[in-house]
Formats: sequence, structure tokens, C-alpha cells
Amino acid sequence: MAFIEIRGLQKSYRVYQKQEGLLASLTGLFHREYRNVHAVQGIDLEVEKGEFVAFLGPNGAGKTTTLKLLSGVISPSAGEARVMGFVPWERTNEYRRRFALVMGQKNQLWWDLPAAESFRLHQQIYAIAPTDFDRTLGELTDLLDVGKLLNQPVRELSLGERMKMELIAALLHSPEVLFLDEPTIGLDVIAQHNIQKFLKHYQEVRRVTILLTSHYMKDVAALCQRVVVIAEGQIMYDGSLAGVVDRFSTHKVLTLQFAGDQIPSDLDQYGELIEAVAPKVKLRVDRTEIPKVLAALLAGHTIEDVSVEDPPLEEVIADLFVQSSEQAGKKSKEVLAVGHSGR
Amino acid sequence: MHNFLRYPRLFYTFARNSLIRDMTFRANFLIEILSNIGWMAMNLGFYILVFSYTKSIEGWDQYEFFVFIATTMFINSLVQGLFMPNAQELSELVRTGGLDYALLKPIDTQFMLSLRRINWSSLGNFFVAGILLAYALQHLDQTGFHPVQYFLYPFYILCGVLILYSVMFSLAATSIWLGRNQSLYDFWFYITNFSRYPMEIYGGNALGSSLRTIFTFVIPVLIVINVPARMMAMPMKPEYNYLATFAIVATVVSLVASRWIFKRALESYRSASS
Repeated sequence: MAFIEIRGLQKSYRVYQKQEGLLASLTGLFHREYRNVHAVQGIDLEVEKGEFVAFLGPNGAGKTTTLKLLSGVISPSAGEARVMGFVPWERTNEYRRRFALVMGQKNQLWWDLPAAESFRLHQQIYAIAPTDFDRTLGELTDLLDVGKLLNQPVRELSLGERMKMELIAALLHSPEVLFLDEPTIGLDVIAQHNIQKFLKHYQEVRRVTILLTSHYMKDVAALCQRVVVIAEGQIMYDGSLAGVVDRFSTHKVLTLQFAGDQIPSDLDQYGELIEAVAPKVKLRVDRTEIPKVLAALLAGHTIEDVSVEDPPLEEVIADLFVQSSEQAGKKSKEVLAVGHSGR
Repeated sequence: MHNFLRYPRLFYTFARNSLIRDMTFRANFLIEILSNIGWMAMNLGFYILVFSYTKSIEGWDQYEFFVFIATTMFINSLVQGLFMPNAQELSELVRTGGLDYALLKPIDTQFMLSLRRINWSSLGNFFVAGILLAYALQHLDQTGFHPVQYFLYPFYILCGVLILYSVMFSLAATSIWLGRNQSLYDFWFYITNFSRYPMEIYGGNALGSSLRTIFTFVIPVLIVINVPARMMAMPMKPEYNYLATFAIVATVVSLVASRWIFKRALESYRSASS
């Protein structure tokens, strides 16, 4: 059995459809319209021990819901999951001692107390032996370079410093599985980079299994060998990050530098002109046409330099999200059967 | 570390962290203590005034009634100090999704949510209650008291605290179903309003006795203070044994019910958006 195993996992919510305005609010006291939101619609996934997997997807795709299901915070509507052999939503203490969840948008440290006090509390909650606790805390504070901040009230820390403390709190009990939900959200580039560096190092040394959701493609590119793209509660892609580009991008970007200061006027026939600042030109060309286009260009013009590149990953992913939400838009019109119910 | 030692230790750390936090805002801390004590002093003053007009309220004379007030203060300070801030926070945790982190911890979730914040300033009243009780007992004629009453008194205070805790926690747990339930303070006011008088006053007419029946047997808040207070203020009488026995049953049933309600409510926890 895989380390993490998910079969047909589903989660639906019933959401009160609130209409705008006071009158509608009054009506809503007696008669409410509900809509079923299918946050996760049948996910199958297997993750092996020591993998670092990224969940990519637009807002509301079901990434966070999946992590919450795997952490046992909520129970599924259907389907099953096993993490290290445990059913997460049974919430056994044995399971809860062996994983951690970090949410970039929620904090668990005592706001008015120094982080050191919250860490002590964690030591007792997780029953960590004092020697292990001191060693782990020492290592983590060194790695994240926050030794001097341990005795400062959490409310006086910067967002980046606080995130580091949250990570330490989550890692004190040396979890074997780590769920990270947007751990770098709202951080500046340097802080983001520091957290990435730390996570990469930590995962390499400890061989923990990590599932990460993030909106920052840089996080994903820096950390994960495997990417799972989720949209509208379903898995659209599962494989390497480079594979996303191969699979979903239909074009490549051709950069040409012509001799002299002139740009030929007949470039439109080869592909879409993205940028033209003489003597340089960027063309968007269909992948399958590349050899033909290159040959024709080189034959017809004097070209000093040429490069063929994949489009930026962000762009591919963004296109993918747009496509999938358009598809889902068609589908959800059917799903959007509004349930009427009085209350 | 032994399992049964873990929870007392955790409680100690919760209490310690809360005290550190309260001390950080020391002016606020002192004002809270003083206003709590002031409120109880005004209550006491009111009854001293009442007793200047009458010798007894339905069989409770002045010093017996002081025992009753001291008992009220003991129980209220314990409930407000230990459980009130947690019950209030639970509603907030549900609304903001902060309950997620509590559910991740490998300890009993109800224990954690019930005791992680302690409001030390409310416990100030506990000491005032001690002084009041000592003063009342000095003036009270204790002939006919059975020695066991002095041991049963703290036991029944504990029962009273646990009953109020159960009612309060069950109510707070409903916020998991409702998404939000901030009626706790109001509720606390209504309940303590009923429970802080001797149950004898709910006699006589049909309204009084039906209130008495409901708040003794359905929501057992009347016995919370009445049973321990009588235990310390008057000699034991066989006709009150049934009430004392019922108080134990009510404590156990309330605790079990609160746990059941909490577990049921958790099943429908949705976790607010992140």
C-alpha cells in the first residue's frame, strides 16, 4: 500500500445563497436557497514515502479541502483515504502525532506570548522528550535563523518571521508527513526564498513526505519533483513540472535577431508576433511547425541569433486554469441545480 | 511520561501561559480583578440591605445566606475563570476556522478547547468568597452539623462547576452547527440569575414550582448552588438527601451529554475558508 492513498475522495458543501439587500435578507430568514458546492469531486492519488508533491490549481479548486481531508479536520462526503495506514478523519492520537499541517493564512501560536512558550506547550501536547525537544528546536532555529526572536511576543514579529515560527511549531514533533497550505503567502521575495531553501533542505535531510499547495510557481519549481494540477475538484494532471509544459503548451516562443536594423514585414505568416523591437523579434509558433518555420526563416533572411523556448510556466498554468474553468463552467450549469428548502 | 500525568501537566502549562499573558497587560488585569470584586461587593451590600428589613428569606437567615453568596462566588469564579473564556473562544474559532489547529493535536479535543485559556482575574473572587465564608461561619451556629458536611461541601461545589461547565460547553458546541453563536454571555446571565437564589423562593404558586421543576430536573442549574450552599449553611436533613443524590446523577449526565453533543457537532464541522 502506498504511503498516502486516496480513492474516489469527495467533499460537498451546502451553501446558503444570500441575495443582496435588506429585503432579501429578511426573506432569507424564512426561505433559503442552497447551492451544493462540490469542492472535491472524486480524487484518486497515491504518494510514496519521501515524495515532495505540489498541488496546483486556481482558487477554489479543492486543494485546501483535500489537505483538510487528509489532516482529518473535516470528513469526506464519499471515498476513502489512508495516510500511513490511518484513516485521517478518525483522528486517532497515533496518527495526529505523526503529521503536521501548516496553513499560511491561519496561525496557531499564542499571539501575545513569545514563540518559545508556544513551543513548550507543543512539547507537552506531543509528549516530546526534553533532549529531543532541545535538539530539534536548536536545529530548526539555526536553520531558519530566528534564535534571537524566540523570546519576543509573536504579535511583534514580521509576517515572514512569524511564518518561520509557525513552521518550527509544526516540525517540533518531527512529523513524517507534512501538509503545507500556501506557506509563503503574503511574504516578500526574500522571505519566500528563505522558506523555500529551508523546506528543500529539511526534506532532503529528513526524507519527510510533503504535500504543498501554493500559488507561487517559484515555490513549486524550486521544491517539487511532482506536480498535481487540480481544477474544479478533479485531477487534471499528475507528473513532472516540465511535463506540464510539454503536455499543455501548444506553442513555443521563437526569438530572432536579424542582421541590420530592419525587420522583415512578412513575419505574420510564420506565427503570432509577440514583440518586435528592431532588430529583435519574438514569435509565438505552433510546436509542430517549429522545424518548418525555422528552415523557411533561415533560408529567406540573414539571421544573427536564434533561440527556441517554452513559454513561461506561469503562462501555461494560467491557460490551463482558464481552459479547465471554462469546461467546468459548462458542466456546473448542469450541476447547479438549486435546492430549495425552508428553514 | 504517564498518560494520566500528561493532562494535569498540560493544564498547568495552559494556566501558566495564561497568567504570563494576563500579566503582560497588567493594568487591564488589575482593573478586571477590581471590577469583579466590586460587582460582588455590590451584590453583598444589596443583601445586607435586604436583611436590615427582614430576619430571613424563606428560611435562610443572614449568615446562612452569606454562606449561600460565598458558594455562588466560589462556583461563578471557577466557571468564569476556567471555562468562560474558552467557551466564548470556541464560537470564534468555528467562525474563523481556527478550530482546525485544535483538531490536529494528539490530545483530547474537548479537554484542549475547554481549558486552554484561563482567566486569572475572575479567580480573584474565589479568595473573596473564602473570606466571606470564613466570616459567615464564625457567626453561624453550627450545632447539629455532621463532620461529613465539611467534606461534601467542596465536592458539591465541584459538581456545581461541572454542571454549569457542561451546559455552557454544550451551548458553545452548537456554534459548530450554527456557524456562529454569540449568545453565551446573555445565556450566562439568564442562568446565573435563576441559580443565585435559594430554591425555596420558587415555591407557592404554579409559576414558581414549574420554574423550580424545570431548572432542577431539565436544565439542572438550581441545584448547582443550592445543594452545596445548604450543605455548609444548615444541618443535614433526610428530606434533602434525594436532592444531594440527584446532584451527583445530574453531574454525570450533564458531562456525558456535553461530550456527546460536542462529538456530534464536530462531525458537521466545515472549517472556514483558509
